[in-house]
Amino acid sequence: MAQAPASVQTPLSRRGIERLDLMLLCAEALDLNGGEAMVWLSEEMGFTDLFPNRVELWKRRCTNPLRRNTRRASLKPEETDALIRILTALSERLYPMLRTLLSSAEPPDLNAQRWDLFRSRLRELVLERLNPRRGGVQRLLDPQEGPALSRELVQSMALCAGEGGFERLRASLLDAAV
Amino acid sequence: MKLTTRYEQTSCRLIVEGLPDLSAGQDSSTIGILTGFTMGLAGQTELEGKREHLQALLTAVIPYARHLLSGVPKAFGEADAPVAIAPGDGCHQLELRSSQPNTPPLTLRLDDAELADLVRCLDQLRLDARLALPFEAPPLVPLARKELRHRQPLLRRIAAPLAGVAAFAISAALIAMLPTPKPAPQTAPELAPPAKGG
Repeated sequence: MAQAPASVQTPLSRRGIERLDLMLLCAEALDLNGGEAMVWLSEEMGFTDLFPNRVELWKRRCTNPLRRNTRRASLKPEETDALIRILTALSERLYPMLRTLLSSAEPPDLNAQRWDLFRSRLRELVLERLNPRRGGVQRLLDPQEGPALSRELVQSMALCAGEGGFERLRASLLDAAV
Repeated sequence: MKLTTRYEQTSCRLIVEGLPDLSAGQDSSTIGILTGFTMGLAGQTELEGKREHLQALLTAVIPYARHLLSGVPKAFGEADAPVAIAPGDGCHQLELRSSQPNTPPLTLRLDDAELADLVRCLDQLRLDARLALPFEAPPLVPLARKELRHRQPLLRRIAAPLAGVAAFAISAALIAMLPTPKPAPQTAPELAPPAKGG
């Protein structure tokens, strides 16, 4: 696997970490084995030095401020880069599913069922792991705003799938916070 | 010897043809000179073109995908460029302008899945080590605050500063209503009575 190119190492903003962890959560909602796949990919891609075991990987993800048990530690740029690489690899694996969800050529009622299933799994994961008092989490669970936000997350995953998506997603997560 | 490379996704097929540039010391499996490409897009069109068309496609589509990923869709492609892409109503409008005279521009409406397919094909093309062609893609850099301005509705964006100004104004008005404290009346300092006796 290609390593991250040497560039200006800027840590991710709070918003960037929130979005990265939400997209990883989406990968888990799309694939029931997503959590295992993440650990396996991390080993496969040679990130054992950064995340020696699943608990360490989990702890890094818990720096998301939207988590129920959020950790105050800040992530190093190489750790976030590794998480982004894992996400792009997961998106590549899940790409056929992401594409089906986004396609307008699929039968509408069948696709509506797929979206319902995805959203219900995402909702379960969000309720289990994220803090429902945070505005960002409430918006995600909101019946009005939620569907558009989950579609945005799926579209982002489709656009960052594969090796070419790494730089794009990294740049996007480093956007100036609004 | 002609070399062909294919990049395929569900709705997008890009075939690049070229020759190795032996004078530049490239090995015989590297495409150093691009002779042409064909692209099948969204099951509708078969496009053919030269290197500059492929370059124009990259120059328009890659930054478009970059902005879309940040949630700020924006049109790309100059008025005289062969390729332009702009956000449409629930779709992405890819406009292809032919270099042949009297050919009207072709507008394709891509949905999110077709756009993702196109972006993946172009990503594979620009990262392919078998192609020794310096395609110029604009750098993928973080967007500045002003470019992200319309991501949030105006009301939500100005809510916090507005609340701050209002809180300041209200507290200033309340404080102004308090009566000014009057200076305490001046009294002559009293001396302690002299000690008696001795």
